[in-house]
Amino acid sequence: MDYEITMPRLTDTMESGVIVRWLKSEGDYVKKNEPVVEIETEKAIQEVPAFKDGILKKILAEEGQEVDVGKPIAILEITKEVPITSPPKTQEEEISVKVEEKITPEIVEEASKIGEQIQQQTQAVKEALASPYAKKLSADFGFPLKELQEKGEIPSPAHEKDIREYLYSQYIDKDTLKDLKQYSINIDKLIKDLQGNLSKDNIYRYIKENNIYKLSDIPIFQKRLIEHLSKSATVPTFHIYEAINLKNILDKKEFTITTYILKIFADVMQNHYRTRIYYGNGKYRIYPSSNISVAIAVDEELFSPVIKNIEDKSLKNIQEQLQILREKAQDRKFDPEDFEGGTFSISNLGMFGIDMFDAIIPYNYSGIAAIGIEKNGYVNIVFSFDHRIINGKDAALFVKELKEKFDDVEYIESLK
Amino acid sequence: MLYRDALKKAIDELMEIDDTIVILGEDVGFYGGNYRVTDGLFSKYGEKRVIDTPIAENSIVGNAIGMAFGGLRPVVEIMTVNFSLLAYDQIVNQLAKIRYMSGGDICIPLTIRMPQGVAKQLAAQHSQSFERIFASIPGLKVFTASDSITAYYGLKQAILSDDPVIFLEHLLLYSQDFLFYEINDFDITKQRIVKSGENITLVSCLKILHDSLEAVKEVEKKLGITVEVIELTSLSPLNLDLVYESVKKTKRLVVVSEEPKTGSFTSEIITKVMENCFYYLDAPPLRITAEDTPTPYNRKLELFSIPTPDKIATKIINWGREHGL
Repeated sequence: MDYEITMPRLTDTMESGVIVRWLKSEGDYVKKNEPVVEIETEKAIQEVPAFKDGILKKILAEEGQEVDVGKPIAILEITKEVPITSPPKTQEEEISVKVEEKITPEIVEEASKIGEQIQQQTQAVKEALASPYAKKLSADFGFPLKELQEKGEIPSPAHEKDIREYLYSQYIDKDTLKDLKQYSINIDKLIKDLQGNLSKDNIYRYIKENNIYKLSDIPIFQKRLIEHLSKSATVPTFHIYEAINLKNILDKKEFTITTYILKIFADVMQNHYRTRIYYGNGKYRIYPSSNISVAIAVDEELFSPVIKNIEDKSLKNIQEQLQILREKAQDRKFDPEDFEGGTFSISNLGMFGIDMFDAIIPYNYSGIAAIGIEKNGYVNIVFSFDHRIINGKDAALFVKELKEKFDDVEYIESLK
Repeated sequence: MLYRDALKKAIDELMEIDDTIVILGEDVGFYGGNYRVTDGLFSKYGEKRVIDTPIAENSIVGNAIGMAFGGLRPVVEIMTVNFSLLAYDQIVNQLAKIRYMSGGDICIPLTIRMPQGVAKQLAAQHSQSFERIFASIPGLKVFTASDSITAYYGLKQAILSDDPVIFLEHLLLYSQDFLFYEINDFDITKQRIVKSGENITLVSCLKILHDSLEAVKEVEKKLGITVEVIELTSLSPLNLDLVYESVKKTKRLVVVSEEPKTGSFTSEIITKVMENCFYYLDAPPLRITAEDTPTPYNRKLELFSIPTPDKIATKIINWGREHGL
């Protein structure tokens, strides 16, 4: 029986995924829960396991293809028996023994004949072939096409593309040529315009002088981020600015400031249920625990994984969690649950010396706190709130209590 | 504008200004036409100009030829091309020959309109495409109408032609709504670019042209190239200047048709392109046609036997990858 493997929904917000790599080929036998394919979502690359034993009958989506959630990506033929692609060892031994017994001089002779035939056939395949236009083009350029094909510098059959690539490679070095392909540039025209002076410097000067742009694909991470941020921008938002006193935690070397901030925020969120709300499908999802997402930037990508139940966690535990998430971000190997359940977010640009900034609320979160650099024991925090979830008064009370908690020596000392 | 309305508009506008134009065919009058193309013309022009005929194709065409002899400009509707075979003697031995054999003295300004192609489960005898059968007869003009623009302007030019015209329509196009705009210099004999592109020239007509256009979207996405699509509006006379010009630019030709492959009209187009653009080709031309089989009745088999958008796309993508795209 045939079963469709469909693009799974790996996160709440996932709408499509990109096939990164097929871990199995068509015809392979796969066991239940054995990874079949790697899929890139907006958050990370994940392996998708088979849900049943069977043979991967047909792959419907190629590597690099973006597929909507729920659309089929492969067909699995459900079988109970393992196909005889890998027979048990004992059988193999038996077969090899039988073959040995039967080899005679005639067989050897016949085999060598077949070998010759095969060789002749492969030589025939290697004959230099080219499309009419490729031949015309190489004649125009004065290339000895056949000779170049025999030397293996131009493939057979040759097409226009191969001739041009060879021509370009005569003038322009490999790396530059590869880079040039990303520009919206007509290389024929470039060669003509520069009249033979095709040094790297000259080419890039030409690009700059003619104001030629480079075309870059947007990675799927970034595409999703753009989608979500654009949605966030439609949310009615208001801001509260406050300078928070860090003097009581600055001398605590054992844990980072972020760890303290997360812990204190989580404690205060317990007294303000509206900060624990996620706005989903026209309803409030009110979470019992304080789940805060932390913005982590890796190279040019941005992730916002969630640490859950922070109010019940020790400082040590929070710090460890942060470290694990940073490592996951480095490898881009998150689990779907790393992105679920968040209601409030923290973004910190203080480490770059930024004094004060405001951040965009992750879509449907209650709010975000943008943390700047510490100066004279104080740090500027700009809070952004989703007005659909929380009103000014409740937000003000939340910030007020936060401020008091940071001032409260006894409370800070009691944190473990 | 609906395809059938475009056809009617062409006939109606010409009938208003030219009394010699008459329509004849099965159910074209009182009933308004099997595909509603002549709807309303019976009450407007009366039974002498909109004539219901018996189910007798050979005599319909024979009568129309006689009317043309007498100075009329008849427009014949044959229910489908499949039945035109009954009139094939009149079409080939009379219609196509009279002007030549009378030393140019007698013109036959006669248009035969008829739909062709695979509709939906009409079975083998009612699903045929006959481009090759008519376009290979010297003395006949053969035009096709793939959308409301060619339907309107093309049919007008067919009716106004002093030579006999076979005007091919498609069963599945009548109720389709196509974009219509006025064109001042429309010439059906010159073919028509419906979409411009740089890397492949695709030539097609009638319903399969629209399937090709759909397939082209996928092809362009997958191969990262652009496809130029040319609508064949006139199979005879066959002026392919537009196609040659396009192939010289793109270096690649794809022809899509609903005819069975062997001996189909696609062969003629490819041969002409080979004769005229051989040194410009960067890949062997690709032919996408129906299978060499009578059209099956079973819906799955029927779809299996003809090109569909998916199949067209897959074939072009595989061919492109094999041949240097």
